[in-house]
Amino acid sequence: MTSKDRTTEVLTLQRICKSFPGVKALDGVSLGFCSGTVHAICGENGAGKSTLMKILAGNYRPDGGRIVLNGIPVTIKDPRHAQALGISIVYQERSLANQLSVAENIYVCNQPTTRLGLRRRAILRGNAIDLLTRLNLDLSPDEPVRNLAPGMQQMVEIAKALSQQPDILILDEPTASISETETRSLFALIGRLRRDGVAILYISHRMAEIFEIADVVSVLKDGRLNGTFPIAGLTEDRLVRSMVGRSLPERAYERRRLGNTVLEVNGLSAKRFSEVSFSLRQGEIVGMAGLVGAGRTELAYAIFGVERAESGTVWIDGMLADSAHPADAMRKGIAYVPEERKERGLFLGMSLQDNLLSANQRGVARQGFIQRSLAKRIADRMMARLRVKAVGGDQEIGELSGGNQQKVILAKWLLTNPKILIVDEPTHGIDVGAKAEIHALLKSIAGEGCAILVISSELPELLGVSDRILVMREGRLVHEIDGREATEEHIMAHAAGTGKKGNNGLV
Amino acid sequence: MNRLLQHREITIALSIVVVCIVASIAWPSVFPTFGNLSQLFLNISIETIVACGMMILLISGAFDLSVGSVVALSGGITAYLLYHQGMFPLPAIGLGVATAAVIGLVNGYLVAYVGINPMIQTLAMMGIVRGAAMMVSGSGIQNLHTDFTVLGQTKLMGFQSPVWIMLAIVLLLHALVSRHVFFRQYYFIGSNEKAAMLSGIRVKRLKLISFVLVSVLAGIAGVLLAARMGAALGTSGRGMELRVITAAILGGASLLGGTGRVLGALLGTIFMGLISNVLIIARVSGYWQDVVLGVILIAAVWLDLTLKKQSAKSLTKVIIKK
Repeated sequence: MTSKDRTTEVLTLQRICKSFPGVKALDGVSLGFCSGTVHAICGENGAGKSTLMKILAGNYRPDGGRIVLNGIPVTIKDPRHAQALGISIVYQERSLANQLSVAENIYVCNQPTTRLGLRRRAILRGNAIDLLTRLNLDLSPDEPVRNLAPGMQQMVEIAKALSQQPDILILDEPTASISETETRSLFALIGRLRRDGVAILYISHRMAEIFEIADVVSVLKDGRLNGTFPIAGLTEDRLVRSMVGRSLPERAYERRRLGNTVLEVNGLSAKRFSEVSFSLRQGEIVGMAGLVGAGRTELAYAIFGVERAESGTVWIDGMLADSAHPADAMRKGIAYVPEERKERGLFLGMSLQDNLLSANQRGVARQGFIQRSLAKRIADRMMARLRVKAVGGDQEIGELSGGNQQKVILAKWLLTNPKILIVDEPTHGIDVGAKAEIHALLKSIAGEGCAILVISSELPELLGVSDRILVMREGRLVHEIDGREATEEHIMAHAAGTGKKGNNGLV
Repeated sequence: MNRLLQHREITIALSIVVVCIVASIAWPSVFPTFGNLSQLFLNISIETIVACGMMILLISGAFDLSVGSVVALSGGITAYLLYHQGMFPLPAIGLGVATAAVIGLVNGYLVAYVGINPMIQTLAMMGIVRGAAMMVSGSGIQNLHTDFTVLGQTKLMGFQSPVWIMLAIVLLLHALVSRHVFFRQYYFIGSNEKAAMLSGIRVKRLKLISFVLVSVLAGIAGVLLAARMGAALGTSGRGMELRVITAAILGGASLLGGTGRVLGALLGTIFMGLISNVLIIARVSGYWQDVVLGVILIAAVWLDLTLKKQSAKSLTKVIIKK
């Protein structure tokens, strides 16, 4: 590691605050970033990392606090302004134009043009070659981006960010979708940039990477800064504890009576996960932990018949259940509440009642014709049971709060009388009160004999509701633990891959 | 009131009433007569049959530009079989409509299962089918036998048979689309295709069926048109696809899907028929009809957007007050 003595603090955040309706995303965060330093920022999902980053990139304005750049307080107006100030960012999701060449992508924002606004191809190409050579990247500037491997596309993103010659480079989970060798060359590039005096903000979950590449690490938790540590002298254990260690909410634990095994998944494999085996029993709530991208949703999709598994089997009540479509899975008694409520769960523009009945219209129909009075009766009953706060069944679903929308989606699936209920990030983005109600609801559904699989990135949620917790990492089921014995540190360690080697095999 | 006006079905119904009142006052001896009314309904009957199918497609978030050509081809094939092959009416009609069904099947398969954009697919099919219709009918197959033309030229209670057939189709489809479990699924697909699939709705299969349905309705319309005129022309139904989409949108559909009712499609065609009827009575040049209808379409959608924005604003106010 290079000496940090002569580095200067280029960017200082002073008591930055940012709130969204119902959530305090950042609460008085103060941080300093130095030139020639790789500063890692870590924390759980929802700790405030991306909000912080978006403030620096000019996507959000902070509600309070100051941003000081090279000793001068600044207000970052928008992403263009951030670039002008020397802050460049590489997002987790790629934003390249696939049809265009490497050179055109790199200079997409500041193409050299003639006075008439025409592109000057030769200069564009020359600049790109200079930049690629400087970054030691073996890339042809004329290659269309779609022909490149994911890792090289990532490099193009970085080159694009560096074409602005920033003093500060923000990398958001840059290794999330690239291979090990690609990670190697990325780290080599980061090393060179550090030597050139660029301040690098490195956002990541992955312990091993942080310890390899970072000089300093700051931990965010629930929107607050939990500490900044030099990497030298820090242990993984201590870092994990700092990330998740908090006063646990009271775990009111009541053992439910478990019945027979209803779901058995055997060696299920597909593109994003492999050799996953587990089972669910009647009345059992099983939590599924893992980082974003660990393959949990893809696994749920395979069980629910959205996407076919490549190999392995799913058994329901001892019968082979090969579902080619959600309709097949539903007939066998599976219900799935998807993540991303707005995109995958809600029928916006339609009424609450329509949404409620969307998975089981036949339940309120005779000879195929919907009985309006019956539909209204059932909708009213479900709304009362789940305490959905709404004007009435014909209110448009989009007018409800997130918590109430989620209750409607849960109610919709309860109307299909499922034997197995899979809920994917069931309380994402909803307020604390509604969260507690949904947790209580899940427990009462399980109490009636339904088997529930809860996929969640929120550890307190999993610890609060689960009888058993499964941990997935990079498409594999790596750990299983009794819900009463689990701790956040323990789960996080397995999810992020710092667990003891002996536990890394299949459970 | 504002809330009511947001339903385009209601605004269009009100507009129809207003136009009728004004026209009755302006031309008391010509407009409000039974003969004129019967003629108006006859004029719109064939397009309305197609508009019903188009409404279902629009509800699901798609549309079909090939329907006008299908009208010409199904009529042409039926006429060809009757006139040149001496076939009996029933099998000839059956084959004409079956051809339409096959076209719908191809459209539906390529859109739903292969993933070709509906606009491109049906635009291409529009050209292909138009060409085929010209080949079959040439400059026109005329003097069709009365055994066949009776289908389109009988009168019952003062209305021609296409009007009765149209009304039967509208009422049947309206009941099915607004209340039947199967057809209601199209609203879910149009509102959020992904969520529909995740709710167990077989989106691809349903899309295929809707394309077949609209094509079959266009096939029936084509046969009726040939029967009514006693002839089949390669050019019949030209431009019908856009008029039918216009009617459906005036009647409450949206290109984004999820909204509209079959009755709205009928209201839309009635309104359009009314406008051209009035303009003809007023001896305005036929070219003006297209201009007026275009302006009305834009005005209707504009009004809709303004009202929605206003209600969104007032809703926010209510929430803030709470």
